[in-house]
Order: sequence, then C-alpha cells, then structure tokens
Amino acid sequence: MQGPAASVRAVGGKGVLVGSRRERASGGGQGGPCRVAFVELPDGLVAVVKRDCPTCVLVEPVLRRLGAAVWCQDDPTWFDHEDTDLELSYRLGIETVPTLLRRENGAETARTVGWSRTQWEALTGVAGLGEGLPEHRPGCGSLSVDPFRIDALEARYGGSGLTSRRVELADLEDEHEALFDRGWTDGLPVVPPTPERVVRMLRGTTRDPQEVVAVVPPDLVACTVEKVAVNAVMAGCLPEHLPVVLAAVEAAAAEEFALHGLLATTYFSGPVVIVNGPVAARIGMNSGVNALGQGNRANATIGRALQLVVRNVGGGRPGEVDRATLGNPGKVTFCFAEREQDSPFAPLAADRGVSGDAVTVFAGSGVQPVVDQLSRDPESLARTFAACLRVNAHPKLPMAFDAMLVVSPEHGRVLREAGWDRARLLAELDGLLRLPAGELVRGAGGMAEGVPPGVAADELPKFRPGGLLVAHAGGDAGLFSAIVGGWVSGETGSVPVTREVRA
Amino acid sequence: MRTVLDPTGERQAPARALLPRPTSLQGRTVGLLDISKARGDVVLDRLAELLRADGAMVRRYRKPTFARVAPVDLRHEITEQCEVVIEALAD
Amino acid sequence: MHDIADLERRGAVGVFLASEAFADAARLQGAALGFPAPYVLVPHPVQDRTDAELRAVAEEVYPSVVAAVTSSTPSAPA
Repeated sequence: MQGPAASVRAVGGKGVLVGSRRERASGGGQGGPCRVAFVELPDGLVAVVKRDCPTCVLVEPVLRRLGAAVWCQDDPTWFDHEDTDLELSYRLGIETVPTLLRRENGAETARTVGWSRTQWEALTGVAGLGEGLPEHRPGCGSLSVDPFRIDALEARYGGSGLTSRRVELADLEDEHEALFDRGWTDGLPVVPPTPERVVRMLRGTTRDPQEVVAVVPPDLVACTVEKVAVNAVMAGCLPEHLPVVLAAVEAAAAEEFALHGLLATTYFSGPVVIVNGPVAARIGMNSGVNALGQGNRANATIGRALQLVVRNVGGGRPGEVDRATLGNPGKVTFCFAEREQDSPFAPLAADRGVSGDAVTVFAGSGVQPVVDQLSRDPESLARTFAACLRVNAHPKLPMAFDAMLVVSPEHGRVLREAGWDRARLLAELDGLLRLPAGELVRGAGGMAEGVPPGVAADELPKFRPGGLLVAHAGGDAGLFSAIVGGWVSGETGSVPVTREVRA
Repeated sequence: MRTVLDPTGERQAPARALLPRPTSLQGRTVGLLDISKARGDVVLDRLAELLRADGAMVRRYRKPTFARVAPVDLRHEITEQCEVVIEALAD
Repeated sequence: MHDIADLERRGAVGVFLASEAFADAARLQGAALGFPAPYVLVPHPVQDRTDAELRAVAEEVYPSVVAAVTSSTPSAPA
C-alpha cells in the first residue's frame, strides 16, 4: 500500500507560508479554520525529528549539544517541542527526518537532511560534531509525507484551494443519514465528501479546482472542477476516474444535448455515457462481460457522478424539474466502455470526430434485448436488427425517437468477417427501416397511434439522419445485442455529444 | 466535528430544514403521539379538544415506552394518516 | 426529538412537548442531531398536578403548539 510517488507532491517550498500565517494569527486571533496558532520559529538551529527513526535517535546527543530547537513528530515528550499534528512539518515541507535548519531574521538560510558530519558542521559552524557516530547516515521518511496522511494535511493546512462551503455535521448525526437529509443523494448512500477525500480526488486531474467545466442545467450553475470532484467522491469514484467524469459533465451540458429538456421530459431517458480510448482500460472500465450491468466500479461510479452533478449542482431532482412518468434504472448510472478490441467498427468517438480518449453522451432510456442465434451472414443479421429497431418507442412512429444499437462480439464477428463497418451497417439499416406510410397512419392495424393521414411519401424512415448510434460491447459469448432506446429526435430533443477526455 | 463539502450550487442553506408548515390546522389531520409517561394523557386529552374546536381532525397514537424511539410501523402509520404530529409529554 | 426528526423526514410536520426541565436537553439534542426539531415547554413538574391544573397547562401552551406547526405565510416547497 505504501508509496505511489504521486501522493507526495506539493510539500516543498512552503517556508514562505510561515511568515504570512504568523501575521494572520497576530492580527485576528480568532482562529476560524486555523485550529492552532502556528508556532513562531526561533532564529538559530531548528530540527524536526521522529523517535521512530534510528537516525534521529543517533543524532539526539548532537542536537542536545547544539541546543537546537527540536520538534518531534511522534513523541511529544522527547524534545521540548512536538509536532504531532504535523502542521509545522507540512508547512516547512519536511520530507525527511532528521531535517536540520538554520534560521536568521525569521527566514530559513540553510537546510540539511539525514545525518552527515560534514554537512552538519558546515551548517552549524561547529567542528567535531557527533563523536563516535558514523560519517553519514540517511534519514527516514517524514510522517508529513506519509501517503495516508498527506491528503488530510493538505486539506487542513495546505493551500488546497477548496472553496466549497464547509458543512459541519452535528455530533449525533449519522454521517450517511445527514447526507440523505440534506437532499444530496440519489437514494443510495454516498461517500461523505470530506475535504481530505476531495483533495485526493483532485489529484486525478491537472486542471485547476476553480476552472469552470460547464454551466449545468436546469439551474444553469457554473460548475467548477472542484464541484465535480465533490460529487465524484460521493459517487464512489477513484481519482483516476475524474477526467472521464469531467468530460461527461462537459458533454452533457453542451447546448445540443438539451439536458434541461431531457430532465424535464416525462419520457424515460437520461444521459448514457460511452467511453472510448485507452483511458477506459487504464482506469478499469468494463467493455466486456455484463458491460451494461452492475459490478464494475468505474462504470458504476462515473455514470453516477454525472447524475449527482446534475442533481446537486444543476438542481435537477426527480419530482421537481425531473418529471419522468416512469424513468429508468439507468438514471442512477449508465456508463460503459466501447469494446474496441475485435470490433468491426472504428471507435464510436473517432467516427464522431474525436479520436483517442473521449466520452459520448446519449439520451438513453433503457435496454431492449435483440436475440438472433441463427444469422450467419450480415444481411440476415441486419434484418433482425431492423425488425427490433422498428418497434423503438412504437412500431408506427417514424423519425420520432433516436436509438443506440449495442452490437455484441458474437454478432460483431459476423459483420467483421463480412467486412461491414459502421457506415455500411447504418446504410443497410436505413434501407431496411423505410416504413410503408400506409402501415403507419393513425388507425392502421387497429391502433390509434401513428402518423397523421395525408403523408405525401410512400415510405418514411424510422430514424432521422444521425438518429441511430452503433457501438460494440459485451462478453465473448452470446448471440444477443441490445437496443438502448433514445429520446425524441431533432430540434426538440437531444443530439449525442462527444468530448475529449483531458488529463 | 466532521466536515463535508457542500456538493450543490450553494443556492440553498446547507442545514436540514423543517418541512413547510400549513397555514392553519383547519381541516388537517393531526396526530397526537403519547410517549407513555404518567399524566401526559391528561394534557393530550385537552389538546385534542382544543384542536377539534379549531376544525382539525385528531388521531391518537401511543408508543410503547418513552425510553425508545417509536417503532417503525407506528411512525409509518402516523405519516400515512396525519399531516401534523404533536408528541407529548416529556417530563 | 428523534421521533419528530424521523416523522419530518417521512413528511409529517411535527412538534414535541416537554417540561421545562428538558429545556437544555432539547436544545442540545436538536443541535446534536443537526435538526431544529420544534418543541414547546410546559411548566415543570407534570406528574403531581391535578387534572384541572394539567388542562390549564394544555390551554396555556396551545397557541405555541399551533404556531410551531403552522405558518402565517405559505412556504414554498423545499
């Protein structure tokens, strides 16, 4: 568990903060979020040690002989000063103990780490230090850069740059109930977004926490990277998921996606996130067995984080702006990676103009199975797809509702071996989904639903141009594909949006 | 003290708020929840009379012991049947 | 207090009555629960009062009880 190198960044060069902090403490003195008045370091020799470190124990007599002011990280009784809350160590950017500093006129003028007779003699100007000690002994890691503590220290003392309102939970409040009570969850428990967790989440991106990612409907609130990170923590994301969540938020808030309308509609749909590029495998997303189902953390939490942003930042809550008659379970989370390996198609995002790491959002409304265990040629399989797609929303409604066809690997193989790419399949489906106007007219088939009489054309297409997306996902076995029904087409509805995933 | 960061657009107060109150009790169903402490029922009886006089419909409930929270079935029953609850009387 | 906190969570508007001896406990517990459960205090003690005295107590606190569960201006739905 010890030691991803990334978790020990941003601790160097904090010495300058010491002075500014002292001014604040003397000016106001009421503390606020600064729980302890920061210590005023004396001029002269200052050291930071921990008793657990053999090198620190080794140099104890030297420090005592020098009369250095010594702060100990783990044993408050060892020297005159203690730094068990590690604030001093954090602010001084201590990475190794022992660290010996020389300070003059309130500023640090020299520093050495570990034990080296020559360096200590040079720093102190005292000859003959450490009689009987070896010439040199490396130090130990400072507790203030312990991967398990660094996030809390940064949240507490660092210029973490977090600006979200801090909400103190009452003593008897169960922390999970407290988050439900404030209306912040989707009905399932969320991970409490403590400052430490949000700091850790923000390590997943290089973007500034205060950068505005998108203006989120329905309340049209400018949503910062930080707010996305808070909601990503709640959703259960890992830091490496954050860039994908950010891209999904950006895509879903694009004007053509029409998120406000998508929320407010009584229809079933909500945003479905499809991820392309190497990032999907790198963060452990599932594009294979049960790709549209449960059990994969990245899939589950990325889709959920987007929905929590819509709920909490945008204000899109069911029963308020969200007026869905029935909704669909994918409105908790619906996110998967396209299976690019052995796909008959180019990556979905690449076909839509964004190669590499990208997300595509689609206004989807649930999964309808497509079964065809017998077709061995693409023509036959395409007819199966067309027959199943025809009933999307209603078999007599043309050009009204979009859809996404998710082709499984076993169906995909039939297309691949015949050399059918996405464009070819879509062209075939377009031809097969020209519906005779007579079958669609109101009253035909004994069903009142349908198109008004008097349509001039003999045939009407089931889908508007661009109204059918095709993706590839699923496990190796199973001659099934899936149709994810969409929302209304065209100007009144939603257009799928693809955005690059940036670090 | 545990601290969490507000995940919202921060347009509303972060505290848990009371439910919106009705403008009056006229025509409302009011539950009187007796916590089973001695003599509390006398106060509740009189409150029931006053509420009825003001046009409220009154339903009476009693939890088994003042020492514990009301059983979940009782809480469910009350919220199914009542818009307002008055709990008494801790002494 | 816990009952009212939960009943409000379930959608019923609530208030509880306690004797003045519980004033501090009620205030502290409300703060500790993070929920400002409304309460109305009655004079302590209760258990040794006559029926007539207790009915008078009910009449005395009744306006406060009504005030705790009603609002003179309609609130917007949260």
